[in-house]
Amino acid sequence: MQAFFQYTVEGLTIGAFYALVALGYTMVYGIIRLINFAHGDVFMVGAFLGWTVLVTLAGMHLPMAVALVVAFAASLCFSGALGVAIDRIAYQPLLAAPRLSILITALGVSLALENGVLLIYGPGFLTYPHLMGTAGFAIGGVQISYAQTVMFVVSLALMFALYLFVHRTFIGTAMRALAVDQDAARLMGIDVERIIQLTFFIGSFLAAAAGVMEGLYYTQISFYMGFLVGLRAFTAAVLGGIGNIPGAMAGGLLIGLLESYGAGYLSSRWTDVFVFLVLIGVLVVKPTGLFGERVVERM
Amino acid sequence: MVDRADPAMRAATARMLIVAVAAGAVVLPLVSDDYVVDVAISILTFGILGLGLNIVVGYAGLLDLGYAAFFAIGAYTTALLETLLHFSFWETVPASLLFAAASGVIIGYPTLRLRSDYLAIVTLGFGEIVRIIANNLDITGGPNGIYGIDPPVLFGFEISSPKAIYGLAWAFLLIVILFTRRLSASRLGRAWISIREDETAAEAIGVPTLRVKLLAYVMGALVGGFGGSLFAARFGAIDPTGFTYLQSINFLIVVVLGGMGSTPGVLLGAAIVAGLPEALRFLALWREFGFAIGLIILMLVRPQGLWPARVARRVELPEDEGGDPVFAGKDAPRGETLLEVRDLSRDFGGVRAVSGLSFTAHRGEILSIIGPNGAGKTTVFNCLTGVTRPSGGEIRFRGAPLGRLSPHRIVALGLSRTFQGIRLFPHMTAYENVLVGMDPHHRVSLLGEIFGLPSAGRDGREHLGTCRRLLRFVGLEEAAGHRAGDLAYGDQRRLEIARALGAKPEILLLDEPAAGMNPTEKTELMTLIRHIRDLGVTIVLIEHDMMLVMGVSDRVLVMDHGTLIAAGEPAEIQRDPRVIDAYLGNESDTDETAETPEEATLWDS
Repeated sequence: MQAFFQYTVEGLTIGAFYALVALGYTMVYGIIRLINFAHGDVFMVGAFLGWTVLVTLAGMHLPMAVALVVAFAASLCFSGALGVAIDRIAYQPLLAAPRLSILITALGVSLALENGVLLIYGPGFLTYPHLMGTAGFAIGGVQISYAQTVMFVVSLALMFALYLFVHRTFIGTAMRALAVDQDAARLMGIDVERIIQLTFFIGSFLAAAAGVMEGLYYTQISFYMGFLVGLRAFTAAVLGGIGNIPGAMAGGLLIGLLESYGAGYLSSRWTDVFVFLVLIGVLVVKPTGLFGERVVERM
Repeated sequence: MVDRADPAMRAATARMLIVAVAAGAVVLPLVSDDYVVDVAISILTFGILGLGLNIVVGYAGLLDLGYAAFFAIGAYTTALLETLLHFSFWETVPASLLFAAASGVIIGYPTLRLRSDYLAIVTLGFGEIVRIIANNLDITGGPNGIYGIDPPVLFGFEISSPKAIYGLAWAFLLIVILFTRRLSASRLGRAWISIREDETAAEAIGVPTLRVKLLAYVMGALVGGFGGSLFAARFGAIDPTGFTYLQSINFLIVVVLGGMGSTPGVLLGAAIVAGLPEALRFLALWREFGFAIGLIILMLVRPQGLWPARVARRVELPEDEGGDPVFAGKDAPRGETLLEVRDLSRDFGGVRAVSGLSFTAHRGEILSIIGPNGAGKTTVFNCLTGVTRPSGGEIRFRGAPLGRLSPHRIVALGLSRTFQGIRLFPHMTAYENVLVGMDPHHRVSLLGEIFGLPSAGRDGREHLGTCRRLLRFVGLEEAAGHRAGDLAYGDQRRLEIARALGAKPEILLLDEPAAGMNPTEKTELMTLIRHIRDLGVTIVLIEHDMMLVMGVSDRVLVMDHGTLIAAGEPAEIQRDPRVIDAYLGNESDTDETAETPEEATLWDS
């Protein structure tokens, strides 16, 4: 039983990262019906940007707390801008084109980001400064580190902020309107292009937050890290019901838990098989995901 | 037949291109070194896999991000049977096809009811599962894979040199080209295009969409397994790194970049995806990056693909003996009860769209259902055709309850329909639309069409003849080769009727056929409706145009708020005070903004 709770703690920690990345998939999908295959790589770029700033500032002997805040701010904002740029260059011109062509440019952007980072930083692992020691506390024998606690709380805070933004602000309402009916939203005077860009900004911003935290938590990053996390987060978004924001959050945590239990009770070699089988099982029973709504079709 | 560009010119260009490619293919191994031949083999392999995936993505419009799984299954089948059971290469190929097809069923079945975006992750997951299994099992050699696969032997000659493999790859590619082209021209191929265009409409006019989708996966898997066998023979060794997600992505890029649904496009895409990275070798480390940027630019410049599939196809419809189309009800006695609706109800959430509705339709009559917007008329049609499941009540057709039959089965029984908003397959030609409508009565076998058997050719000509007759019947013979989406509005309405008649219905359900027509067209439509009835087809009509309704109907049913408020001959209905009330309204009833219940949701399965 103690092992179970230990796996749960691990699962929730990685699940929180997945949830943050899954939000970007689900928000973009909700608004322009695109599976943004480059999103996992924006997460990766966020981790590298955070590393660059952190290492540079650490070299200048700034206090670590200041360096950390600056690194977060710089990485998140720059990644957000990167998301907007990707949308403008590779997606916006193809919104009216056949849907698979935009999927291919997304794959192209994904490859370009991976290989761009590979060219700049090289193929090896980079190591984040060890800021988050293993210190922590234990509840009934279950070890919980302070790092895990802080990251989980930060992730939840970001998700809660997003939820408030989408449901309590005017722009958030416009965003939801857009997701329901783009043409109607445009006719109501909503600047659709602006909202789409904002969506990309927020999604990339959150992914970069997960990227920097993942770097701090695991301390090792590589140009290839976006693929696996992107895949898991995408799975999470679909499991929760793609297009649904609370669904992505729940899906992320659930995938984190599945991965952790799978690795703990089965074998890490079979984790992905386990995760995908659960996903397929859920979709067979509920074709729109756990929280997804039925799509209405007119005749 | 009409075609945009000069067809003779086009055919000549195509012939020249084929001759040029064939000449190049023959000369290449004579003048090039092994490296170039090796790249060429890669291009051919990508061509095979691209054409296979094109069946799923291009023809049927289903997304597959795990296509490498079928490739892997074919390759591992050949490798295992050769190394463990000492089969010859040729003996392993049928087994590869069999296993790949079986896995096509396994992946296809759970995904059939999913929308395309969910398909992406499920197919991706399937691809990963297959790769991880190959990577983790002992029998597949784990990460090391399987080596020591013997090369194929043909008439005592060992196919192992690059040039020999090159020849084998061409042979495989030509077989696949022939196979996929036959498929696309077959009845199944048309059904695929129809579900790509509009799956709901395809089901509602009689296409068994679930089976058709499953067959797309199976046919795609067959080609993937075939390519896998070739791959194993080529390298003599395989390991899981050859079947990654990235490989599946490459196959998808081949199809979309080249042009979905287009054979030359896919082959061009294969040449680029397999050849361009080689050509970019001078970029050294920047090669992959350059390829990615190149891919984005190509897609931005040519969103339809480099060589998109041609839409309007030329066809010579065979001459038929003329005359009207023939229907089953032609000589049946008029007046017997054909359709019996008892106490039909349908709720949408808290809204009761249809409530306790009962009526009958008799053979040979024209029965109209009228009523204000939101009265529940279209919901009745949707219940009759199986598109919506009734919440209560019973529908009996020719004495037997329809129960929970799926729409295409109901069409096959003899109830076919048109739609309130036109739902033709806009990128298919007029005659192809009608041929899809005739699907429930096609008896030709798929194997016959693939192998080009004479019986299939005979059946095909006979069907084209019937198709031509139907088009002439609605006055669209001249437009047979036009894209349905390009036709004038009234013509589209009549084409929908021809398509519905293709199913040889006993009852034809027409949902507002006169909407948007001008008075001349309406008059012609009235003549057409009477003519169809005279051929033995019973007609149930939803219509707002009173001139038309009162002009053609034998009986009229009036619905309001989901219930029947009047029924009778046109003259009686016109005098009925309740009908006048429902149409002109009283105070409580004039709220124009009230949402019509039947618009809340229509698709319920």
